[in-house]
Amino acid sequence: MTLSLSDPTWYPIASSEDLPFRHVYQGQLLGRELAVWRADDGNVNVWENRCLHRGVRLSIGINEGGELKCQYHGWRYANRSAGCTYIPAHPADAPARRIQNRTYPVREAYGLIWSAANDQQAFRPFAGAEGHDWFALRPVPVNAAPEDVLAALGGLAPDDQPADLLPGLAVRFGGIYYFVQPVDAGRAVIRGLLREQPVDAVATLRHYNELLSKLRDRLERSAARKPAPEPLQPAYDKVSADLATMPDIAIPKGNTITVMVKRKWVSADGVIGFELAGRDGHLPTFQPGAHIDLHLPNGMTRQYSITNGPGELMSYIIGVKQESASKGGSKVLVETVREGDLLSISEPRNNFPLRRDAIRTVLIAGGIGITPLLSMARFLDKSALPYELHYFTRAGETVAFRSELEALHGKVIFHTGLPRAEIGTAIATALGQWSMAQHVYVCGPGPMLETVRDTAAAQGWPDESIHFEYFKNDKIIDNSSAFDVELARSAMTLHVPSGKSIMEVMREAGLTVPSSCEQGACGTCLTTVIEGEVDHQDVYLNDSEKRANSCMMTCVSRAKSARLVLDI
Amino acid sequence: MAITLYDFELSGNCYKLRLLMGILKLRYDIVPVDFYPGRQHKADWFLRLNPFGQLPVLQDGDLTLSDSGAILTYLAKKYDETGLWFPDDPAITAEVLRWHAVADDITSTASAARLALGFFYDFDVEKAQRGAHRIFRLMDEHLWFGEREGRDWLCSPAHPTTADIACFPYVMLSEEGGISRQDYPALRRWTDRVRRIPAFTVMSGVFPAGRAVEEA
Repeated sequence: MTLSLSDPTWYPIASSEDLPFRHVYQGQLLGRELAVWRADDGNVNVWENRCLHRGVRLSIGINEGGELKCQYHGWRYANRSAGCTYIPAHPADAPARRIQNRTYPVREAYGLIWSAANDQQAFRPFAGAEGHDWFALRPVPVNAAPEDVLAALGGLAPDDQPADLLPGLAVRFGGIYYFVQPVDAGRAVIRGLLREQPVDAVATLRHYNELLSKLRDRLERSAARKPAPEPLQPAYDKVSADLATMPDIAIPKGNTITVMVKRKWVSADGVIGFELAGRDGHLPTFQPGAHIDLHLPNGMTRQYSITNGPGELMSYIIGVKQESASKGGSKVLVETVREGDLLSISEPRNNFPLRRDAIRTVLIAGGIGITPLLSMARFLDKSALPYELHYFTRAGETVAFRSELEALHGKVIFHTGLPRAEIGTAIATALGQWSMAQHVYVCGPGPMLETVRDTAAAQGWPDESIHFEYFKNDKIIDNSSAFDVELARSAMTLHVPSGKSIMEVMREAGLTVPSSCEQGACGTCLTTVIEGEVDHQDVYLNDSEKRANSCMMTCVSRAKSARLVLDI
Repeated sequence: MAITLYDFELSGNCYKLRLLMGILKLRYDIVPVDFYPGRQHKADWFLRLNPFGQLPVLQDGDLTLSDSGAILTYLAKKYDETGLWFPDDPAITAEVLRWHAVADDITSTASAARLALGFFYDFDVEKAQRGAHRIFRLMDEHLWFGEREGRDWLCSPAHPTTADIACFPYVMLSEEGGISRQDYPALRRWTDRVRRIPAFTVMSGVFPAGRAVEEA
């Protein structure tokens, strides 16, 4: 029998005990090397043992509990999806969300970890698997062809009780099952299971270990006398170019995902928590700071930050502020959406990326602005990176996600009901003097963001070390100007009259323009400016980006010049 | 009393001493010895320190010592106030010395393969690799049953000893000699545990381990 790279059979590749927390196990199946690791939530990941960046083995990487970090260049991959969550060379830009490592199917059962070379077959328990308390023997690696190992194991059966050959390189006699893991053409691992728990576990393990070691020595002596079989030659797929290239801007793909409201609870007075669970396995990879668009039953779309920690992909948890004065989005969610309801969400997008190479990270949250910063704190916490989180709440406003914040190991400081004057002092103290590789992230109401930006600038923090996310643009938009826009790529010139936004005019001309908040806060409609002077009215770009005059938000910003040339 | 280590950064045997002295928080001076390509360990001035012409050499005041296992023992007995790294108990002493001997076998196999592939030494690479695999297989079995019996380290105490320090470097550097550790999962888990010893330091080719899961 010859081994095939495309064999869809499920084989055991490790014992459950081979996978303690925070360890990466090195395995191999049908010639392909595997990095196998158990996340802190118990989930087992079976991945190709190569980092997408340079092909370095992931088995020498670090299992951080929710992400696996490559030792060489620091790329990180999420539990469950194997999606890339961080590329150090692009800390200020998100990796393409769908860059992901090659994964293999996995099932943990009967004390063993099972996997297969492809998804063609569903996992099926071996005959007679159910209803027993299985006991796994010490696995014994053998440098011999898997079929020879199988034949030798069959020879262990007593004469009056010949072995049953089972599908998938396995034999059974009495209450013993032996599975042969086909590592490669000339290598195998014997994985034995006993049907019952023995009285003396260690003595039993030693007995079988001795028996199988003798068998191994015999097999290896005879394999040494034969020509070595040619090892299998697995092909390593390149990541397709469209997945691997960095997108210029995070244009929503228009894909929506249906999620179920698994839990709805009051996290604090005026803050409602929603747990949105995927209906079929895990949800897409997200990064700390990312948000989703939530499509509401009344046709509105609203953005909410994901609060989850690394590798938590079975559901997204968001926090929604009850605002009676809101445009009705949050109101609908809070008042009419119930547990069990289905909602549509977009894939996560990130306009608020977190660097994970900072010497010090200061997170400053105001009110409901805690949501993206909770996620960031959780990621930094798992990676043991230094951070402090300052959470400002108004007098009478209660702290949302308190228990989640108290579970963190870093410095979490609650500032409750400070008078305006003292908020400035508290922020100044929290920031301190800037030095190399310090970063501050702030999310909250407009005036607070302004305070942080001004205070940081006054204390020597450069623009590129201050990261912010407005959840809305409170500015009054002046749409009185009139001008022409020339769309370089679409070869058309449009007139924008007063009272209409560039975006509206483009849509009327039949163009599809991606947008999300339509108030200059989210960055979705970011467009490159080729010529002309922009009248920036958004809160997404920072001052130096605005001064550069090289990009704009077509939803609210306009022209100071008579003509703008845009790269659309 | 000043300690001086005659050291080559890429030597696993010198690293053993840097590792233990770091863990014991000892201050020491380093005299770099150009083992490769300079072959300074065969120079007259070095042979006066150690006629065997081998690194490391350690001087403590007027005392000149050689052989990494012997020096580990000396440092632990003299400077480790806890008495854990080289326990006094006769049976445990025998256990530790038994593994010091294994460490020398690892040097003559795994380290020899690394010298052949990385430093152009004229050794029989395949023979060295086979020898290393034979030892690693036995270590993996010993450590695997240790896990089943509640023993995390090479010797029976519930804490690491100089035996673990002596065996660690050339196990961890084995890939540089073309010796994969894929077939030794318990040995790989032990290298995680060694790398999580408080005040553990790295050398070129040895990465730190990530944090263990908190004992919540």
